[in-house]
Amino acid sequence: MSMPISAVPATVDQPGQQPGSTGAGRSRAPGTRVLARMGQAVRSNRKATVGTALLALFVLVSLFPGVIAHDNPGADAYAPRLGLTTAHLLGTTAQGQDMFAQLVWGTRTVMIIAFVVGLAATGIAVLIGVAAAYLGGLWDGSLSVLTDVLLVIPLFPLLIIIAGYAHGASTLVLIVVITLTSWSYTARQLRSQALSLRGRDFLEAARVRGERRLYIIVVELIPTMTSLIVAAFLTNALYAVLFASSLQYIGLGNPNTQSWGTMLYWAQNEAALQTGQPMWALAPGACIAALGASFALLNYAFDEIGNPALRPVRRTRGKPAR
Amino acid sequence: MRFALRRLGFFVLTLWAAVTLNFLLPRLMPGNPALAMMSKFHGELGPGALKALDILFGVNTHKSLPAQYFSYLHQIATGNFGTSLDFYPASVTSIIGSAIWWTLGLVGITTILAFALGTGLGIVAAWRRGGRLDSIMPPVFVITSAVPYFWVGMVLVLIFGISLHWLPSQGGYYVSTDTPGLTLTYFEDVLSHAILPAISLLVTTIGTWILTMRNTMITTLAEDYVRMARAKGLPGRRIMIDYAARNAILPNLTGFAMSLGFVVSGAILIEYVFNYPGVGSMLLQAVQGEDYPLMQALFLLITVAVLLAILVADIATALLDPRTRTAG
Amino acid sequence: MRRFGRIGLVIAASLLAASCSAGSGSTTATKGVVTISNENGALWTCDFSPFNGSDTLLSVGFVYEPLVYVNPLQNGKTTPMLATSWTWGAGDKSITFTIRKNVKFSDGSALTPADVVYTFNLLKKYAALDLTGVWSVLSSVTQTSSDQVTMAFKTAAVPYFYYIADETPIVPEHIWSKIANPVTYPDTNPVGTGPYEVNPCAKANITYTANPHYWQPGEPHIAKVEYPAYTSNTTANDQLQNGQAQWGSQYIPGIKPFYTAKSSNFHYWFPPTVNVSLVPNLKNSLLSNVKVRQAMSYAIDRSKVSTIGESGYEPPANQAGIVTPTFSSWLDSSQLASDGGYAYNPAKAKQLLASAGFKMGSDGVMANAQGQKLAFTVINIGDYSDWVASMQVITQDLQAVGIALTPANLTNTDFDADLYYGKYQLAYYDQQTFGPAPYYELRNWLDSADTAPIGSVAATNYERYSNPATDSLINQYAATTSTAMQHSIVDQLQQVMLTDVPIIPVVEAVDWYQYDTANITGWPTPGNPYAQPSAFAYPDMEQVLLHLKPR
Repeated sequence: MSMPISAVPATVDQPGQQPGSTGAGRSRAPGTRVLARMGQAVRSNRKATVGTALLALFVLVSLFPGVIAHDNPGADAYAPRLGLTTAHLLGTTAQGQDMFAQLVWGTRTVMIIAFVVGLAATGIAVLIGVAAAYLGGLWDGSLSVLTDVLLVIPLFPLLIIIAGYAHGASTLVLIVVITLTSWSYTARQLRSQALSLRGRDFLEAARVRGERRLYIIVVELIPTMTSLIVAAFLTNALYAVLFASSLQYIGLGNPNTQSWGTMLYWAQNEAALQTGQPMWALAPGACIAALGASFALLNYAFDEIGNPALRPVRRTRGKPAR
Repeated sequence: MRFALRRLGFFVLTLWAAVTLNFLLPRLMPGNPALAMMSKFHGELGPGALKALDILFGVNTHKSLPAQYFSYLHQIATGNFGTSLDFYPASVTSIIGSAIWWTLGLVGITTILAFALGTGLGIVAAWRRGGRLDSIMPPVFVITSAVPYFWVGMVLVLIFGISLHWLPSQGGYYVSTDTPGLTLTYFEDVLSHAILPAISLLVTTIGTWILTMRNTMITTLAEDYVRMARAKGLPGRRIMIDYAARNAILPNLTGFAMSLGFVVSGAILIEYVFNYPGVGSMLLQAVQGEDYPLMQALFLLITVAVLLAILVADIATALLDPRTRTAG
Repeated sequence: MRRFGRIGLVIAASLLAASCSAGSGSTTATKGVVTISNENGALWTCDFSPFNGSDTLLSVGFVYEPLVYVNPLQNGKTTPMLATSWTWGAGDKSITFTIRKNVKFSDGSALTPADVVYTFNLLKKYAALDLTGVWSVLSSVTQTSSDQVTMAFKTAAVPYFYYIADETPIVPEHIWSKIANPVTYPDTNPVGTGPYEVNPCAKANITYTANPHYWQPGEPHIAKVEYPAYTSNTTANDQLQNGQAQWGSQYIPGIKPFYTAKSSNFHYWFPPTVNVSLVPNLKNSLLSNVKVRQAMSYAIDRSKVSTIGESGYEPPANQAGIVTPTFSSWLDSSQLASDGGYAYNPAKAKQLLASAGFKMGSDGVMANAQGQKLAFTVINIGDYSDWVASMQVITQDLQAVGIALTPANLTNTDFDADLYYGKYQLAYYDQQTFGPAPYYELRNWLDSADTAPIGSVAATNYERYSNPATDSLINQYAATTSTAMQHSIVDQLQQVMLTDVPIIPVVEAVDWYQYDTANITGWPTPGNPYAQPSAFAYPDMEQVLLHLKPR
């Protein structure tokens, strides 16, 4: 009925499991219908519900941080290293800043990184993946090799040395560098699916109608891939958050930025764990994990929806298969 | 044979790409980072070391970019990565040699353990579809796959190192009280220091193996030959292992190799959290100390390690699964 | 399957054994052993040349000794070491040292005045070895009697006593004269007169054992010193916290919960040494205006920088530039008080800026009639997280009076280059050397001989301050051994600091030092500051090692 989405690593290009082979393309599913189905899935699939709720929460916090936290996250306004109180829900840093305010205001930077990198990297992935599949021949050969090479070069060490040469990276540099290096995994998935759709009737029909290539790709081909593109966005956003936070944590970001990774950097610097201020490190880490989990849960839920075999087996079906 | 050659070709191509990245990055960066580095160490370095650095980073040279590139390739091919700046006058290769065993020991063993354990659990979960294991694991491990590796390390440090004082949480062994050697105390010392970082790696990587194995196994269980085996009335365990798992594990093996890049990345941060004396900590130290020759060499080493693992996994898959060979 | 189970069992058993031994093995140290925890950032090279800047802290004081120990923390109080006495010659232009008899090198051969003469002439012959530049003032070093060495100076150079007597390690002629190239000589097996020998050195740890030929009877009491190479602060601090290292010498964040709360035997003392200052580039058209600099000095809440930026470890500095309490006896407090002491006073700062013709703009930044804004970039070292935090406080303070700062957190290399060549507007920095009187730091900042035009490397006067009257004060000090005269000159230098505000001292840098009294006594304390207490302070650590005793 619907399309399988290979979002879990290592299930790409499995023999015998061709993405997009189950027929959604045949009926010319427009993007809006896929999105509507996703909306329905969010309501019916528990993983998707939790993922959406978490994501919505973070989006809200990042849009209106001032409503929740009244302190200026950068101001050294209080006594340093205060414990948890009602005035300072997470205590204060060694610099006398309110940690809760830092956590709340830091959400905005993280969300910007997640969404900008997610969109930009997915854009590149769609461009390269679809172009490779649709244009074929030498184009496919060279773009695929480029994708595969980038796919196997260990990204995080690469990001570390780039940030090293750049002497630490501002949020903008982080966004650009992560975008340019992290699109390959999703591009490969998109290429596989586009490849399987290439010979389909509705594309043939468009060609016979005399539509231009660009029109066919943008209007006919890409909408049928909407759910995979959404999955690609989720994957890219997840890795953007993890990579950016990790780089900031090890001190390769700008230490004056308000961000979860920067909080972790200061917590590490000030030995928060060893000096009785574990929340300084635990809270931003938990937020990264929760935001990451919301992306991962949504991704997995869509995967389940797309591939009914993976769905949890309900007890009503009787005894497990034997 | 053709398949093996193709994979080898890809290996060489990727290696070339990584080397070229190493060549281009310092030359493309604004503000010429290498020049700043050279000015810092000028006067401390011998002429031989300076010449090697000139070739590696392209400072003080009037040669054209292609000419620089060829002498660079030549130097890398001869295994000369220059002299470390922070550890001067030790050569980069000798320094890496002292760190690599720590990483190989920790990350190598833990990764294999995680793969074996995760795959096993995945098989069982898929086989006992709807069982307790199967219903709890997927959501749990979807979430753990999103947790930053270093954060798990931090939590373990807090609980077992700082609060309970059960295990050491810093370094590879007690540098002040223990001397490296073939003694039992040293062995125990090293082992006790490896436990927490190993658990962090295990916890964060095992989820991927369980999920991918479970998912491919479920697909495989629906295949005709498995149904056939069932119909024949073969014992359950035999179907599970010889029919389903054996076939389901193949794509997973490729996945294992592909994900090694992520494992290596995560291990860098684990080493950082625990101050483990491996190549990951060394890479970060090199970045912080602007020890660019060491940094370049480590990046290349990590890339080669991942590439080799992929090559081996590819060839293993090909040997085990005739389909891949003909498809290639 | 079964085989797997066996292996699993073995691993589990050894893990258990390991965790048990880790629990019990990590407690107290053996008596008579001191383990130093001083983060080095790299493994040891096992080179011990006393004339190589990166090895001195491992050899001078352990293996090699100076003629005299001069204690910077007690106004230059002297302790005779290889010289038993010394006298200044006519016009303070020469000095004669009497060399101690019955001193042996660790190889058993005797120390002679010839070794002292040889050492100094070695530094003359190879300028690269002359780390403190003693030959910039010396003209000759000769043996003048069976036990005396006389040194002649080109000009009066009284402050150089510190570098000659305290900072120059004496090496054996019979070994060093056979070395082809002393500049590159690694000295892997150092032979000196000091209390310890290297025995052995590995990349991860240096073990020092007592020198059986040591000249002070009964010394050293500590039989063995372990000096592990810590590549990270965290590991080094971890070892202090669990009592595996007893002598710490680095920054510990949150030291009370991290360290002293862990045991009643854990203590720390951070004696201040030099000022950490906001350094204006005096060639900048706005910063050359003294009223702007004075306003900045008034606008910075130094106590807040100290508590917030430096966790209270580094005390607030004063505009007179005298580091207290280390040099309290030199501080002219009446003079400091008469100027309001540059105590935190934002209103006064605004008033000064107004009197200099600056008006507050709509963006909250003051500007003059020509529209030049008081907006500056301040360079800082990004790796020093305490300085980054301090700069956040300073930025907020100056913002409040209409001066906008933009911190640029640079790497060490970039920072040094910008500072040395004068390519900056404001910098946050401290002098890298410390002497036994405030004169040493003030001379570094104020002597025009130590500066250079923008674009050339300045030695220590980075702000490019130049005033002939100040130069002459500095030269007069070099030519007197009279304490009263020295005090009068330093009083006048304080006046320069207060009126000209060439730099703005913010907090006082300290020596990091933690110590564990569980098994060892005799540590330097605020009540008995007999030496600079950090393990990296040479040759001071020799004094510490000679005072330590197993309990």
